[in-house]
Amino acid sequence: MRSAMTEDRRRSVANFLIAVGSLFIVSAAFAETSADRVRFNRDIRPIFSDKCYTCHGPDVNNRKTPLRFDTAEGATQDLGGRFAIVAGNVEKSDIVSRLTTDDTIRRMPPAYAGHAKLSDREIDLVSRWIEQGAEWQSHWSFIPPERPEPPRVEGKTVNGIDHFVLERLEREGLSPSPEAERATLIRRVTLDLTGLPPTTQEIDDFLRDTSPNAYEKVVDRLLASPRYGERMAVRWLDSARYADTNGYQTDAERYMWRWRDWVIESFNDNMPFDQFTVEQIAGDMLPSPTLDQMIATGFNRNHRGNGEGGIIAEEYAVEYVVDRVETTSTVWLGLTMGCARCHDHKYDPLTQKEFYRFFAYFNNVPENGKAFKYGNSPPFIAAPTPTQREELEVLDGKIVEAKQAFDELHSEVSAAREKWEQSLTRSDFIDWTLNEDLISHHRFDGTVAGETPGAPDARANLVDGLPEFKKGKVGQASAFDGKSFVDAGDVANFRFEEDFTLSAWIYPTAADGAIVTRTHETPSEVRGYGMYLADGKVQLNLITRWLDDCTRVETAESLALNQWHHVTAVYDGSRLAEGANVYVNGKAVRMSVVVDALNAPFGVKAPLRIGAIDGSGPRFQGLIDDVRVYDRALTPDAIAVVATETPLHELARIKPKKRTRAQEDKLRLAFLDEYAPTKIREAWETLNQARRTREEFADAFPTVMVMKDREDPRQTHLLVRGQYDQPGDTVAPGVPAALPPIPANVPNDRLGLARWLVSPENPLTARVTVNRFWQSYFGTGLVKTVEDFGSQGEWPVHLGLLDWLATEFIGSGWDIKQLQKTIVMSATYRQSSRETPDLTQKDPENRLFARGPRVRLPAEVVRDQALAISGLLVEEVGGPSVKPYQPAGLWTELAGGSDYPQGHGEDLYRRSLYTFWKRAVPPPQMLNFDSAGREACTVRETRTNTPLQALNLMNDATFVEAARKLAERMMVEGGHTPQDRIGYGYRLATARELESKSSEILLGSYRYYLDNFKTDRHGALDLVSQGESERDQALDLAELASYTTVASLILNLDETITKE
Amino acid sequence: MDPILERYQQLTRRHFFGLSSVGIGTAVLSSLLNDDLSAASPRTDGPSTTGGLADLPHFAPKAKRVIYLFQSGGPSQMDLFDYKPLLDNMRATDLPDSIRQGQRLTGMTATQTSFPVAPSIFKFKQHGQSGAWISDLMPRTAKLADNLSFIKTMNTTAINHDPAVTFFQTGFQLAGRPSIGAWLSYGLGTLNEDLPSFVVMVSKGTGRSGQPLYNRLWGSGFLPTRYQGVKFRGVGDPVLYLSNPPGIDQDDRRRFLDDLAKMNELKHDEFGDPEISTRIAQYEMAYRMQSSVPELTELSGEPEQTFEAYGPDSRKRGTYAANCLLARRLAERGVRFVQLFHRGWDQHTELPKGIRAQTKDTDQPTAALIQDLKDRGMLDDTLVVWGGEFGRTVYSQGKLTADDYGRDHHPRCFTIFMAGGGIKPGISYGETDDYGYNIANDPVHVHDLHATILNQLGIDHTKLTFKYQGRHFRLTDVHGEVIKPLLA
Repeated sequence: MRSAMTEDRRRSVANFLIAVGSLFIVSAAFAETSADRVRFNRDIRPIFSDKCYTCHGPDVNNRKTPLRFDTAEGATQDLGGRFAIVAGNVEKSDIVSRLTTDDTIRRMPPAYAGHAKLSDREIDLVSRWIEQGAEWQSHWSFIPPERPEPPRVEGKTVNGIDHFVLERLEREGLSPSPEAERATLIRRVTLDLTGLPPTTQEIDDFLRDTSPNAYEKVVDRLLASPRYGERMAVRWLDSARYADTNGYQTDAERYMWRWRDWVIESFNDNMPFDQFTVEQIAGDMLPSPTLDQMIATGFNRNHRGNGEGGIIAEEYAVEYVVDRVETTSTVWLGLTMGCARCHDHKYDPLTQKEFYRFFAYFNNVPENGKAFKYGNSPPFIAAPTPTQREELEVLDGKIVEAKQAFDELHSEVSAAREKWEQSLTRSDFIDWTLNEDLISHHRFDGTVAGETPGAPDARANLVDGLPEFKKGKVGQASAFDGKSFVDAGDVANFRFEEDFTLSAWIYPTAADGAIVTRTHETPSEVRGYGMYLADGKVQLNLITRWLDDCTRVETAESLALNQWHHVTAVYDGSRLAEGANVYVNGKAVRMSVVVDALNAPFGVKAPLRIGAIDGSGPRFQGLIDDVRVYDRALTPDAIAVVATETPLHELARIKPKKRTRAQEDKLRLAFLDEYAPTKIREAWETLNQARRTREEFADAFPTVMVMKDREDPRQTHLLVRGQYDQPGDTVAPGVPAALPPIPANVPNDRLGLARWLVSPENPLTARVTVNRFWQSYFGTGLVKTVEDFGSQGEWPVHLGLLDWLATEFIGSGWDIKQLQKTIVMSATYRQSSRETPDLTQKDPENRLFARGPRVRLPAEVVRDQALAISGLLVEEVGGPSVKPYQPAGLWTELAGGSDYPQGHGEDLYRRSLYTFWKRAVPPPQMLNFDSAGREACTVRETRTNTPLQALNLMNDATFVEAARKLAERMMVEGGHTPQDRIGYGYRLATARELESKSSEILLGSYRYYLDNFKTDRHGALDLVSQGESERDQALDLAELASYTTVASLILNLDETITKE
Repeated sequence: MDPILERYQQLTRRHFFGLSSVGIGTAVLSSLLNDDLSAASPRTDGPSTTGGLADLPHFAPKAKRVIYLFQSGGPSQMDLFDYKPLLDNMRATDLPDSIRQGQRLTGMTATQTSFPVAPSIFKFKQHGQSGAWISDLMPRTAKLADNLSFIKTMNTTAINHDPAVTFFQTGFQLAGRPSIGAWLSYGLGTLNEDLPSFVVMVSKGTGRSGQPLYNRLWGSGFLPTRYQGVKFRGVGDPVLYLSNPPGIDQDDRRRFLDDLAKMNELKHDEFGDPEISTRIAQYEMAYRMQSSVPELTELSGEPEQTFEAYGPDSRKRGTYAANCLLARRLAERGVRFVQLFHRGWDQHTELPKGIRAQTKDTDQPTAALIQDLKDRGMLDDTLVVWGGEFGRTVYSQGKLTADDYGRDHHPRCFTIFMAGGGIKPGISYGETDDYGYNIANDPVHVHDLHATILNQLGIDHTKLTFKYQGRHFRLTDVHGEVIKPLLA
């Protein structure tokens, strides 16, 4: 029986192929209807574009003759008494003979360039078009959509969509399909709007609800679910090439999840699409942008960033901007602008100059082409989550409280301070040190030993010489002879993202020598950090690899030799030269940046050294005193205090008005820190602690890369052949001339561009957007080439419907939820997806919508559904990406280093849009099921059907564990008989009742496995032990294993992984 | 056997490894009708090939398959093949500006103040009748000199690993284009019914850890994902998810698939979606892979002399040697494109030490593979390619000492070799200048190499195209010339 069906199927396809004979009958159904008038945009432009424009199109540099077929003037011009096209006169139109001749030299498109002759149909169309008057039209997608009146039709309609669809079906002699069964329908719409299947309760409620608006109630409920935003976000993340790693070489982690969460929230809040657009393209340029508006601009920072050693930064700086242009033009305009990077566009009216004018809008980001290898690259901002923002407010409140409490002690403080200072003036030597965050301190008062609160076990000793102490700046100082140095032990092993401060008094007798360093010398370079004296200048070095992965800043002026100087080097952990500074005698000095290319961690195993670097570099000569290392970047005020060597008892003797600010600060801090009465010290400490707590809390905020414009705009040049190092003419920002101009009332900058994208005059944005949404429901767009609305794009199968949806969308105030609702409410969407031989023949791809969509689920839904029906799914919106199961070794194989650090617990069961996406090694299950690669913008959905998918679904721990948990649900919730339990599992997966034939198959299966597992308890235990979730120990092992296998079969059903 | 299953297997034989969502019957149909796939009508002639484009091959192919031994990181041509005796006299002198010609340098040496010439410390000798110069780092390969065809003047556009490797694999520096193997699967289909037509293996030797690699290097770019390379792994399942979960044996799996097929068939009866038939066929294919892949990767049946030939590493799964042996087994089974990657050639510093380790790991297996193919009469129709993404500079990066130096990336000229597959053996093509820094004559760009590889497989590189974003893309972009003097 089944075999016969298969035979029928084969035969029918074969018959059909024969019946089709010439190949264009079906496609003609989409393009023209037999006696219909030939239309330039629909019928002729696609031919000219594909076959002629390479040499006779918009690209002036590639035109070998003046003849061009992209404009009427170009095609009908006088070519020395001959004409390519003469309207209404096929005889006189040279084009026809050039297309049809057998002379391969004369024939167009030219055989010598490897082109085939046009088909008979194409030649016929061109001839008929000329005959009918050769009427030209502007490219359809460049003409703004006007709201078409939905055609009048017979038959069941819900909204405008159905009018257009039915009218077309009537013309084609097709009838729509009946509405899908209710269970199928609720599963379809739930998967489509939330990416998860309906629960049995939701199915039952719907089946029982006999009210006329039962379906609408379901739709409204789904649109209000937080799962809706998660579902909508995934496709947007594809188009925004969102990922969790930088994408080149080392491919280390970056942090863009706050942007991802912004997308989810925006969809859930139903942010209008125009606002959604403006905030992502130019949220930073809005007046006083909110944090959310800043986060939104992460859209155009999601491109890959290259931090590979040795790259030429400018080359990649250009690539990033090109990526923004390509992504923005694809997502909003459906234009392949990237084609015009090197030359004028071959098919569309986009010149190379226009490409660079568009480029100019995105060319102002203060960024380095060499991205940070690890983490986010500037510009980025701290982007606390809403919860963190709330907590921050609490902490701010605590500071205010503590400040108040301290201020209330004002008079007490003054009195006590005065008394203390009085007593100080009578004292012998008393001094005080700024202790907070001081992790290593060498006073050199007769010993090289220091205090190292940062590493209590660290021991210092003098190397390559004998200790010698002389009168110092504060007590004694240690003498260095250019050979000796102090090994200060294993302390201060800073990471490159940590801030720190190094300070010392120095009395140099030679212009070169290391002061404080933590370095390691290799054959080729010195790695690590340090403060050096080089040619008399104070240098701060942060070196991972000299020249291409390091930062060096130095003072502009040299220090005088043979006198004391206080020197401080501060680094703020930003990896930028601007975050590395040197202070001399407590004051900021003019700096010069030698190299600004720090990228990778510079930690070394060597000890902290005073007076030397590791290896052969010059060592210090002279005196060094009072060496301090703080594991914090001190503020300028604090540095001034550290540089104030005068002891307290002497400071007290200076009249308050005569004290410098630093002197005053030192006295005040010393008092509050150590000498004030307990009550005051406690209040002071409470305030400080509150500030520290807030600072530490805020330091841990997630960051997100954002768009920002440089203050001094960068001049944009046309790049000859697209090469970064071949600048041509300068260009100003602007939009392509073939599209409407930037509105008069907005500035011609990135913000203006954003507003232009969503201005009502823009012919493309709304069409491109509704088309993309349509694709997510029907598997294919109304324009199949969702990424290309240009000449080479597909002629829309339903231009009227597309324009109706686009104008509705604009008219609704770009209401995204309303658009979704319009689509899923339509009778078109609600049709059964059953095929009939007639439909298969006439419309194999369902482009005319005489049936509902039947499409395999997207990669993430395949997994999420399995988690949901097995009860494993952990629903929590947003947060850092997680690392569910993945076969071991995948990362190491390709990249070396550490392997994928798999998560545990809830991390294993979050929705797939939260799965960590490493660009070099994406999650294998996602790739197997055709997800976008996230390397570059992807808007077209593709689906394949491969054996790797079968292996994945049968054997991947994710699905084996889900099968076991589904089996447990079947046994615990599904009733008592095997029939009931299997039926329950089937219903969870497909929303449908199990029919008797299917039930028999699955029951047979169950009994087969039960027989096996009863005798193979080890095998049963092995099978049900897959995955980290707890097994229900109350269940019989053999039964559970058998149900697990049946559950796995259910998860593998075509019907389960298909929306039907 | 169940007649239904037999039928499905027939179907699968016609449509190996994946069909688009339109399914079997309609795949044929839509590809005839749809501009997007207008070049993609599956070929139906000839029993030995399945899938692929109807108009391919464009002409009689010389090679049926390719084994690409990619040496990732950039092997130093100066120390292996490109013998420059005059350099000994110029040791430690600064590379003249007239030679360097202001070429762009990587950030690693761009600010180096001098560029001391570092002659190779390794000994070169001429080998075979062809007299090919090969250093003593490659003794086994040297013995096969008369089978090899050297290109001394390979050059590339990229100067850093990621873009350069991507360029070699996809013809473009940035991510997003299909890899060579994906193009071949798309164009030529498969010669094998139980294995993927494009297999990738990655190894790492005893040298430096090596530059990372990326999935995209064997990705399908804008081609359907079914054309992407299938990675055979050195650990765990040789193909991801190949093994049944513990507790499920092949009998259980057979029963499972029979029941699954019955269920899906019922669905097909009800819904009529040809996609369902395809799915059933793909599950059968998966089942066959469960036996064909272990059979392939199980080396214990190989005779002792095989392991002796490929070296002791060949018994260790995941090594270059084991992968070379696997490459031969894949070639025997008709896999169209075998792509090996061996990492660790990036010797910026301590090059002598590093390259000794690299060549120790790779020389013997490379030679063994070529000899093995030859002995089996397969070298004639198997094209073997050996090479990296760029070469290395004549000047030393970092300190030059009597027995130590490093070399930076050098995209301007470097050496690769090919063997078999209709390439003229025992020749050396192209010459570099006395410094090995510039090309003296006959440059060969990556695009030219691609054009030549496709040519050997019977493909006109200008005609294997795919329309995406309105443009007809090809592996060679808008460039590439077949290097005619290399053809036998």
